[in-house]
Amino acid sequence: MSLEVRELSFAYDGRRILDSISFCVAPGESVALLGANGAGKSTLLWCILGLLKASGTVRLFGAQPGRKTLARCGVVFQNPEDQLFMPCILDDVALGLLNRGVPRQTAREAALEALRQAGLEACAAEPAGRLSLGQRKRAAIALALAARPELLVLDEPTSELDGRSSRELAAALNRLRITKLIASHDLVFIGRTAARAIVLDSGSILADAPAATILRDQALLEKAGLV
Amino acid sequence: MRRAWPALVFAAVLALFERLAAGRWPLLAVWMLAAFAASAIALRAIPWRRIADRLGPRPAVLYFILVRHFAAVLAGETGRTFRARSLCIARRYGPGWFRSLAWASAAVLRRGVIRAERLYAALAVRGFE
Repeated sequence: MSLEVRELSFAYDGRRILDSISFCVAPGESVALLGANGAGKSTLLWCILGLLKASGTVRLFGAQPGRKTLARCGVVFQNPEDQLFMPCILDDVALGLLNRGVPRQTAREAALEALRQAGLEACAAEPAGRLSLGQRKRAAIALALAARPELLVLDEPTSELDGRSSRELAAALNRLRITKLIASHDLVFIGRTAARAIVLDSGSILADAPAATILRDQALLEKAGLV
Repeated sequence: MRRAWPALVFAAVLALFERLAAGRWPLLAVWMLAAFAASAIALRAIPWRRIADRLGPRPAVLYFILVRHFAAVLAGETGRTFRARSLCIARRYGPGWFRSLAWASAAVLRRGVIRAERLYAALAVRGFE
């Protein structure tokens, strides 16, 4: 299994945010975490990555989340500005590779290639602040993919994107033969990218089924606050 | 106690400088720690929210609420930026470790200014100057 989550619970300020969440993700699977705002999608992602301490068990590639397992994950934050803090986006994309001991020139070339694939080659020397929101999002995705992760975690990937960019991103994600975990409430995007969907509501799993089945279930989507 | 580490480290550096530069016992560091402890206790012990509710929208109360809100905003920005950095840095003290730390800190400062400007604009459009 790429990911195993067992009885995961998380509380903050005495409020229960996640309640006994359990599921598994097989290698190569594309799984959506669907839920309305405040359902606990992002918190669940942070708990899975070990960035928030929760009770229960999380196994990433069969091990507890830590620096070694995180090095095998690519993560795209909801707000791309969080990830782009270096003087230019080329440095941002190359940082992870350099830190893993990839020679400077090789890291630069890999980062440039990732930016080229994201259509941002011309902006490589620009700081993130000069890019549009959509470009920043694409830069954050290039950053996550540059290190060739085995698991790609995306938190609200379409939140800053227009229709065309969202469609292009879905096509790009479908070309990737890696495990994907996508937290979103964009039903159209999930329909294009995920094979399976887990619906969260108030920190609990409401449904876990093929995405097509869930997207057809109007009553379920209404109950989860998604339509 | 974990949250007090930065203050303790800062006090230790301050004490060292005071000892080396002025050749005296670290009074400044002691004052700093006392002020930190007093602030931390006051922050936890005093029911600020209830007092603010009782006093109503007076300038001092609004100022307090604003500072509290902005501190939370800044803490959120800092947390997210350093969380993103920690995901890039698979090897602690590996290449790019310090450089990314410096740039992430600079990014937090820059975003702090941007958030402050937005907060000011949000207040200004509601008539607060």
